[in-house]
Order: sequence, then structure tokens, then C-alpha cells
Amino acid sequence: MHLPDGIVPVEMALAGYGLSAGLAALALSRIRTLPDPQAEVPRAAMLTTVFFAASLVAVPVPPASVHLMLAGLMGVMLGWFAVPAILVGLFLQAALFGHGGVTTLGLNGLILGVPALVAMGLWRLAGGRWPDLAALGAGAGAVVVALALFFGIVLAGLPTELDGAAERAALAVFVLAHLPLAMAEGVIVLVTLRVLRRVEPRLLPGV
Amino acid sequence: MIVLVLAFGIAAVQGLVALVVAVILAIGVVLATGRARQVVARLRAPTALALAILLALALSAGDTTLAQIGPLRLRQEGGAAGVLIAGRLLSILAITLALLAPLSPFRLVAGLRGLGLPLVMADLALLTLRYLDESAAELRRARLARALRGGTSGWRALPDHAMLLVTGLIRAQSRADRVYAAMRLRGHGAGVGPPSPGLRAADLAAIGAAIGAGLMLVMLDRAL
Repeated sequence: MHLPDGIVPVEMALAGYGLSAGLAALALSRIRTLPDPQAEVPRAAMLTTVFFAASLVAVPVPPASVHLMLAGLMGVMLGWFAVPAILVGLFLQAALFGHGGVTTLGLNGLILGVPALVAMGLWRLAGGRWPDLAALGAGAGAVVVALALFFGIVLAGLPTELDGAAERAALAVFVLAHLPLAMAEGVIVLVTLRVLRRVEPRLLPGV
Repeated sequence: MIVLVLAFGIAAVQGLVALVVAVILAIGVVLATGRARQVVARLRAPTALALAILLALALSAGDTTLAQIGPLRLRQEGGAAGVLIAGRLLSILAITLALLAPLSPFRLVAGLRGLGLPLVMADLALLTLRYLDESAAELRRARLARALRGGTSGWRALPDHAMLLVTGLIRAQSRADRVYAAMRLRGHGAGVGPPSPGLRAADLAAIGAAIGAGLMLVMLDRAL
């Protein structure tokens, strides 16, 4: 769910850079408060490689197959590190593989970074008491938040002279088509966190 | 820096004449780097996306009919918007792939440091680039093993996919422990990121040319 280059006005793309920079600055300021931030970097990088590799794999979700977003799981497992990790991943995807875009990097950072932080908040709030419910909510909720952001940005960015009703109908179909992805991510995050809680709880901070 | 300036210059284009200039500029950059074949190969999927956007807009948006084929109506406003979006998308992508894709990870991250990227993010980018292939290969092997054991399909396969992810995450954690131990042994207390590189005269000239080209594109677009 990446916005490609050229689809939104340049002013919006620049605003996306500004907001993403703000989000990254906030995340980095929280990271600097950790006892040894440098010690967390290898862990964040290694987990990011797994999220990155796993998101490139198509998972069959009948009647089609989808690429997992995993923003919710990144938020739960990486905490504030999810924001710089997502920005780094998006930049590498754009620069090396041509996925996403360089001008829309900021907006894409918001589309994935905000849901990751929402998932982090949900997990920290409810993960201790209702872990399964929180995991399901973090996985599926992150996709829904990302869809809402994507929908809003595309709708605001398309040329005004176009038929608004047709735009909204096309985007509504796009969003509905992605709802199975939300359910699939919810299930995957639920199973992943349930297993990790039992076999490797140190991978789950805050519980 | 050069890629960003050119990309934002092209993204600002609103008219079809300036778009033609942007496309010519992108072709010139690709030819100058001598990577035309690789860029064209990488542009196949984005071209399909661009055509899909063009077709969707041309068939659904606008009031002025250009042509009618049965129930399908080709509309002028949607077509023009589609051409603009598709042209900008492919031009920016071609420049990005021509200038950034051939860089080594170290030079790529060093360039980002030069743009002011914080050290934590530079370290993160370097380590991610270094170990991405390893993680991807592990996941591929795990998927192959699962397929050879005859896994289920459809929705029932989702827990299996989650288990593959869990395996990858646990291996990543133990790899992170080893990497951090190695970093400390080598004295990487201040991080593994490359130093911010200085700019040479050739770099400054290239940045100046990119800014000039971007500004020219925007001014041409606004003048027409």
C-alpha cells in the first residue's frame, strides 16, 4: 500500500516530508531516552530485515494473494524504533527496487508509521491484560488506519476537476478489496505474538 | 540530493508540454548513466501500474467525451490527468533507478548522512542492507521446507505463515545479539554509520545542474 511518485501534488508530498520528519524526530527523541540506544539498533535492524523480507512474500488470502504490511507487528515489537525502521525500509524499497516513491516517501512514512505507533499504544495499553485481543486489534487495526490514511491522502491529492463521485467509488472498492488483508494481518499478528509470548518473551517489550 | 531535486521538479509539473520536457530529461539522465537496459527492465511493473491509472482515469473521470467504444466512454479530463500522473511516475522512477540503484549500500547511506540523516537511522539502514539477503534467504528456505512437507492453503495456511515469521524473528534476535557483541568488540560505541562525506567540486556542479534543471522545469510549466 505505497503511494507512487507523481500521483499527489508536490505541495502535499513536501508536507508529507515535513510531517514524517516530525514523527521521526519524536521517535528519535524517545529512543534517546533509552538506557543504551545503540544496543537496540542491531535488534531493530535484524527484525526490520525479517519484516521487510516477509512483506515481499505473497500470502494467499482467497480469492487472491496479498503482501503483508506488518506495520502493526513492527509497532508492537520495535516500539518507537518502528518509525525510523519504516522510513529506512521505504527508502531502500524506493531507491533499490523502485517500489513506492522518493517524492512520496514522507507520505508513505505517515501511512505506515502512524499505524505502527497506534499498534504500539494499543499493545502497551492492553497487551498485558488481554494479549490476544490486543494482538488482533494491533494487526488488523494498523491495516485499517493505514487504509484510512491512504484513502484520505489520495482523495485529497487527485485533481479537483475530476469526478468526485467516481474517485470515491474507485477508492471505496480499493479499500474494500484490502479488508481481507486486515483480517489476515490480524490473524498472523495474533498467532505470532501468542507463540512469541511462550517461547521468546524478551522479543516483546512492555508485557 | 540530485535525485530529490529532479524528482520534486518533475512532481511539480502540471502541463503536458512541461511533461514532455520532463520525460526527455529523464531519458537523458538514464542514457547518461549507461543503465538504459536495467532501468527499462525494472520499469515493467511500474509501467503496468501507470497504464492502469491512465485507463482508470480516462474511463471514469471527466465530462468531455473523446471517443465511445460500446459502453466505454473515453474522457478528455481523465485522460489528461492520467497522462500527467503516468508520465511523472515513470520519469521520476527512471531517474531514481538510474542514479540510486547502482550505488553500493555504503555510498547510499553515506549520501544520506550528507543530507543530515541521524546516526541511528544510518546504522539501521546499513545493518538492514547488510542482513536483508540473509533474512530473505532464510524465509525462502523455510517456505520451501513447508511446501515440501505439504502445507495447507488459503485461510488455514495463515497460522503456518505466522510460524515462519516467528522462526525468522527468533533467528533475527539471536543474530542481533551476535552483531551487537561484535560491534562492541570492534569499538563501535558511537555506531557503525559512515562519516558524513564532504562535497567535491564535481558533486557541487551536479547538484547545481540538478537544481537548475528542476527550476527550469517548474518555470516552464508555470509559463505555459
